[in-house]
Amino acid sequence: MKDHEPMCQCANVPNVTLKFGALVNWHIGSLGKPMKAIKILERVLATIPIMFAVAIVVFFFIRLTPGDPVDIMLGRGGTVSQREIEELRQQFHLDKPLEIQLWYFLTDAVRGNLGYSYIRNRPVTDLLMERLPATIELTVGSLLISLLVALPIGVLSAVRQNSMLDRLSMAGAFLGISMPGFWLGIILILFFAVRLQWLPVQGRLSYGIPLQEITGFYVLDSLLTGNWRALENSVRHLLLPSITLGLAVAAVIARVLRSSMLEVLRSDYIKLARAKGASEWDVVMKHALRNALIPTVTVVGLQVGVLLSGNMVVETVFGWPGLGRLVVEAIFNRDFPLIQGAVMLYAITFVLTNLVVDILYTYLNPKITL
Amino acid sequence: MNRVHVILTSVLALAIWLAACAAPTPQVVEKTVVVEKPVEKIVEKTVVAERTVVVPPTPVPGRDALIVALARAPAALDPNDHRHREAETVIRNMYDGLVTRDTTSGVHLEIAESYRWLDEKTLEFKLRKGVKFHDGTEMKADDVVFTFERTIKPNAIEYPQPHTAARKGLIEPLTAIEKKDDYTVVMKFTAPWPPALQMIVHHQIVSKAYVEKVGTKGLIEKPMGTGPFKFVSAKTGLEEVVLERFDAYYGGAPTLAPVGKACVAKAVFRVIPETSTRVAALLAGEVDIITEVPAELVDTLKKVPGIQVKTVPGTRPLWMEMNVNQAPFNDVRVRQALNYAVDKDLLVKKVYNGLAKPLGGPLMPTNNFADPNLKPYPYDKTKALALLKEAGWVPGPDKMLVKDGKPFSFVIDTQEVTRSLAEALASMFRDIGIDATVRIWEYSVLRPKLLAGERQAFVGDWGDSAFDPVGHMEAKWHSYKEGSTYGRGNFSGYANARVDKLIRDGETENDVAKRKAIYYEAQKLIYDEAPAVFLVLPEAIEAALARVQNWQPASDSRVNLHDVCVK
Repeated sequence: MKDHEPMCQCANVPNVTLKFGALVNWHIGSLGKPMKAIKILERVLATIPIMFAVAIVVFFFIRLTPGDPVDIMLGRGGTVSQREIEELRQQFHLDKPLEIQLWYFLTDAVRGNLGYSYIRNRPVTDLLMERLPATIELTVGSLLISLLVALPIGVLSAVRQNSMLDRLSMAGAFLGISMPGFWLGIILILFFAVRLQWLPVQGRLSYGIPLQEITGFYVLDSLLTGNWRALENSVRHLLLPSITLGLAVAAVIARVLRSSMLEVLRSDYIKLARAKGASEWDVVMKHALRNALIPTVTVVGLQVGVLLSGNMVVETVFGWPGLGRLVVEAIFNRDFPLIQGAVMLYAITFVLTNLVVDILYTYLNPKITL
Repeated sequence: MNRVHVILTSVLALAIWLAACAAPTPQVVEKTVVVEKPVEKIVEKTVVAERTVVVPPTPVPGRDALIVALARAPAALDPNDHRHREAETVIRNMYDGLVTRDTTSGVHLEIAESYRWLDEKTLEFKLRKGVKFHDGTEMKADDVVFTFERTIKPNAIEYPQPHTAARKGLIEPLTAIEKKDDYTVVMKFTAPWPPALQMIVHHQIVSKAYVEKVGTKGLIEKPMGTGPFKFVSAKTGLEEVVLERFDAYYGGAPTLAPVGKACVAKAVFRVIPETSTRVAALLAGEVDIITEVPAELVDTLKKVPGIQVKTVPGTRPLWMEMNVNQAPFNDVRVRQALNYAVDKDLLVKKVYNGLAKPLGGPLMPTNNFADPNLKPYPYDKTKALALLKEAGWVPGPDKMLVKDGKPFSFVIDTQEVTRSLAEALASMFRDIGIDATVRIWEYSVLRPKLLAGERQAFVGDWGDSAFDPVGHMEAKWHSYKEGSTYGRGNFSGYANARVDKLIRDGETENDVAKRKAIYYEAQKLIYDEAPAVFLVLPEAIEAALARVQNWQPASDSRVNLHDVCVK
């Protein structure tokens, strides 16, 4: 089977999967490992039934939740007519039996149409796609911060187990896990933005900074257009929310890395490496760290999945226009199509993150296959 | 989310103090503050030594625009197709209507030069000449007709799928609109519709030629109206909308000074959902005006030099409705007793930091048809206990009220936003021997249970931004009729045939004096039968940097930037 063949069978799947599939396919294919590429493609295609299964479950669960979208839409106050209530129900097919609603949803979804948001009256795919770059940007920012903090702390505290540094950093990690995001966020805002005025309070870009949007990723767009002012400004906006989210993630990663490093450092091949006279740096960085990274990568992968779903609290505190706020609003408004669309997106995200983690495994330990 | 908000506000108060301690000290004020928490007992007092250090905030250097922070992003920028307060705020700075409203409840002519009722179902508007759209074309009768037809005709909006405009519900009785000549339009209603002018305030005029050319999608992406500001750009999700002064503006309502083009050259609406962050952005000088300031932060903000705080009566009165079809609230004496047992002044002082008004009945005092003769039930514990005794409730050994061996206990249902109010009420009821507890719900889950009469008491509000009994009385105090909008917010199960009739009569009575008589009678009946404990009307609170001039918050929560200037 040639590399591109399975692609043709999936002409009806939404664009995102196609593009990503093609990307992975191309990348791995170029390494000359067709078997691996096929396996990856299989996994990517497997996301489609998963997505639908998840969407159908969510379809029923949100409709079982008490609360009527039309009721919520009309709010408490103002004049409302019976005609209006009935028309809204018709417009959203809420007057139809559940199985008919499900049929509409599925037939539209296979055509790539996830419906229209009740509240915003716009296509769900547009709403999700315009928020996704902000969330991905924040995810990358938080991940960078968390790795920068967690990797040295995890390694050092394992190497110097029970030292002052170990105790302090583990106490710090404990604090990082327990500290609520909104609390840390507001403290950071008040100190760095209000008091010292070093960083902006909220948003993605200051008013008055022109930026031509190409990808929707502000940092990337400012690089692409060579707009240094926008680059500096968008990075400054990214810092506080990334630190807020990143520190919590760093705490988790550092603890996992430390414990797996401790385990690895006790194993025989480390003793052997030391016996052979390898330098401490080589022992730790080449022999121990690479093996200790396997459980760490799993945890990082999970955290990336969580970060990509958007964090409502941090997005709210920093006025960051990401997915979290959109989806939480949708849940409160019982905006069924938007919730379904978001859950399908989450399903893809989690499956793909897991896939990337598995691919990383094979790189870290060639004995593992996909 | 609401719970998060409450926690965040408390964290902010603490954090402002923490951050302040860490900084250089331009000004130090030391004082003792007495904080009364209406939690368990209303008189629980804590004495806290507070140290406030403050720096006057200034706008970020080089900022050339007036920036307003809103709590939510506008839903969509189509004047005819939204039911959203933030959308209306932004839209009404770009679009004008036939009539407008001042910061309280008065209606003024805007694009219309005059109006007259041809008969009780026909309303004629003469339009002002020389009103320009932002593209330079003149606004004429065709545009007005087009706008209202786009609003009322089924499926007139084609994007993203054909549907009827969301604002049709705000002008339901309108059946047709006709052009008489280029500057005269005639509206026809199904029946006499007294609140017509108050409701037409909520409809802004779009350009026929423009909408036909660019379609709904084009109109949403690049709004174009006759208002004081032109649309410049908007960010994804309308998180930021940039406007610029329209120099050919006709000046706005002649009865609302100042008349003329807007004062600021550029205005920006920015979305900052979190209250504490909105306050922080103001303190950092990133924005000029913030909306929806919580009452508990007002004192803190007022202490900061360079910040001004303004308030205006809001439009969301609060009640505690009691299920009149269930014991113990099926006895009118019990319901009246609870009205006497509530110290509204204390609620205003402690829960709303002084920024609320006690309610004297079912309508808020700023409603144009509220009966000024109805005064809030006075706080009178003796009277409350006497009424309860008449109803058979007497103090037991532990001073808690009992009837036939059963204690008087009930649950107050409410939402997170009104938790502290409900808890304060519960403590006041416990004070006279009633065991009241509070339960927090999500409104959409609670509402069907309330309408089905399954709950005992509910603390909540109901918006009344048209300042007219229509939209309010029939929803709240008319008996509940399933499949209609009558009683859609009647959570006490209250049903009085006379009140129902009065409410329906008032809907079509055009004579103001007669209409007043009708509604006054209805209010008195409701007041006496007390299906609810009439609580308070909280104020809307906004704050701004000192450089913002001529700014006044509006009751209907619209932020009107036409008059605002910056120093």
